[in-house]
Amino acid sequence: MKVLFFDPRTKLALMLLCVFCAMAAPNLWFQMALVGLIAVFALLCGRGRYALRGAAAYGLICLFTVWCMGALQGVWRAVFIAFLGLVHKVYACGLLAGVIIGTTKVNEFLSAMEKLRCPKKLTIPVAVMLRYLPTVREDWRFIRDAMRLRDVSPTLLGFLKAPVMTVNCIYVPLLTAAARAADELSIAAVTRGIERPGRRSCLVEIRMRGADWGAVGVFAGFLVFTMLAKGAG
Amino acid sequence: MIEFRNVSFAYPEGEDGGLKNITLTIPDGQCVLLCGRSGCGKTTLTRLINGLIPQYFPGKLQGEVLLDGENLAHLPMYRIAERAGSVFQNPRTQFFNGQTDSEIAFGLENRAVPQGQLRPRVLETARDLGIEPLLGRSLFALSGGEKQKIAFASVYAMNPAVYLLDEPSSNLDMGAMEALRRHLLLVKAQGKTVIVAEHRLHYLMDVVDRVIYLDGGRIAGDYTPEELCALPAQKRREMGLRAVDLGQETPSPFHPPQAAPALEMKNVALSYRNRPVLQDVSLRAAPGEVIALVGQNGAGKTTFSRAMCGLHREDAGEYRWNGRRQKPKQRMKRAGMVMQDVNYQLFAESVAEECVFGVKHPDLALAEKTLAQLGLSSLRDRHPGALSGGQKQRLAAAAAIVGGKELLVFDEPTSGLDYDSMARLAAQIRRLAEAGRVIFIVTHDYEFICRTCSRALHLDGGKLRNDLPVTAENLSEIRAILGVR
Repeated sequence: MKVLFFDPRTKLALMLLCVFCAMAAPNLWFQMALVGLIAVFALLCGRGRYALRGAAAYGLICLFTVWCMGALQGVWRAVFIAFLGLVHKVYACGLLAGVIIGTTKVNEFLSAMEKLRCPKKLTIPVAVMLRYLPTVREDWRFIRDAMRLRDVSPTLLGFLKAPVMTVNCIYVPLLTAAARAADELSIAAVTRGIERPGRRSCLVEIRMRGADWGAVGVFAGFLVFTMLAKGAG
Repeated sequence: MIEFRNVSFAYPEGEDGGLKNITLTIPDGQCVLLCGRSGCGKTTLTRLINGLIPQYFPGKLQGEVLLDGENLAHLPMYRIAERAGSVFQNPRTQFFNGQTDSEIAFGLENRAVPQGQLRPRVLETARDLGIEPLLGRSLFALSGGEKQKIAFASVYAMNPAVYLLDEPSSNLDMGAMEALRRHLLLVKAQGKTVIVAEHRLHYLMDVVDRVIYLDGGRIAGDYTPEELCALPAQKRREMGLRAVDLGQETPSPFHPPQAAPALEMKNVALSYRNRPVLQDVSLRAAPGEVIALVGQNGAGKTTFSRAMCGLHREDAGEYRWNGRRQKPKQRMKRAGMVMQDVNYQLFAESVAEECVFGVKHPDLALAEKTLAQLGLSSLRDRHPGALSGGQKQRLAAAAAIVGGKELLVFDEPTSGLDYDSMARLAAQIRRLAEAGRVIFIVTHDYEFICRTCSRALHLDGGKLRNDLPVTAENLSEIRAILGVR
């Protein structure tokens, strides 16, 4: 299947629309539809596996929620329902953010933000952050190895057994690595003239195409539908 | 032309690396090597040329640095970037885009080169540097050497008059170093000014026109490469400089106490993400042996060492220790690792705490002894983050020893080390071996192998291709494996 290219401005718009949809959704069906919509978007962006996993995980959460509603009583029911309510509210947004971060290239992001007349003081730090996120996963692999060799278990069980120690082991090296990476990335960027005022060019042409308008239209339509349903309910 | 007029610089909080009274002229088209011990100020000198000092790293700056007569302190960074391009040490954190093409075009995009000219310039760059196969790839999937090529290409695409490289070879194997050498010769032939700050000197001796030796922030020597090579080897070592000619390096004799093999690998097969990496590896190793693990990027050195430490499960075969079968969990208890980026494995608030961190019933006497042995006693109350690279490495090794590890793996321990730190590390590794440990070292560093290792394992094509004692008779073969010219 051909992978579609979306303008970073579209992705930003979708993110906003998604937040509103998640907030307005009157019931589980609307949340499920929203997650489904995002899964389709991920699929179009060429993230088929991510889409499938995200949707399947949400399905499980929904099943669990239904089970909780039926089987649990008293305090536990209140605790779980409150917690799950929160999960349902943020899940769709998290899923979409994952797709966006995974598919947006830094140079496209910079050029698109420029078209929106965002000041560089704002876009450059966000660009550094976008670039930094994938390195966290690499960092985590090294840290996990280091923990295991020190007999500290990098698992949920290990965390429950020795929470302070486990947290220490993760955040100390992760913070060190993050501070250094951010520094080195910034240096690499400024020595290549990222701060130059005025317009920059872009290897890929940045403009709103049919697919962009289509995606924004579908999400906006869904938002209107959600609001109407909420009003009616 | 680059001119330093009586330049002094001090970092805030008295960090190492300041400069004192530097007066230096580098004419256009000259290729200069900056060398000296860690903290001698060579990186600082490059930062003064690309404008990172004073604009990114504040501090006390006196005197002036001129590029073609213009005072660099008065030029914004993006103007300097058009004339001076920089390549740094760490391949992981100097690319800004996820994809190679975008990365090569990045500097040009910032300069607002019209879109129609970008693609042709990217292609031209790739052709000039011979890296066409890397186009259209994800940078996250490239090896360190390949990433470094892209970093160089992204500077080359901007066609600056001055190239600055700060320890560019630290993470490279011989093949990648050779490619870097070719690229430097190419830009030199184009009449560019090239300035390289570097610990590894051998690959640059027939590239550079001039060698500037820094000591304690001052220029303490200004040589032609021939003059530097003509100095007695002992003198260069006293200056803290690494080998200028690897052909002169010979193994230094090492006689650890003879012991029966403790480690045995029998027909071990390893895979990574469902792809076979190594097949049918069998070997024995005795306490006291220091074993170099060599091979190209992707030959399976990382998987081999992670499996050795129990961090990776074997598909087939078995590991034994003193005859007893070892599952991954048991290997994890027995083996320790000093990672290439040692920052990932330092967790505690002080050196003394780090030493016993995670150990259930630590032997405090052993901890003291180990700290003393590795020259860390005087630093016991310091925060691990405040140590130098070499000290962090030794601390990680100390923690492994206090944790009762009998097998140690060092991953690329000499990247970024000067001669002094390298020699000290070599001596300390040998002492650890003599105390009855089995030691593996993943490395590309021929000089370090000669100084430290008793045996070399060569991984290639999914197999353990060679298993050679590091002796004078085997030298030519070891050189061939490592690609030493």
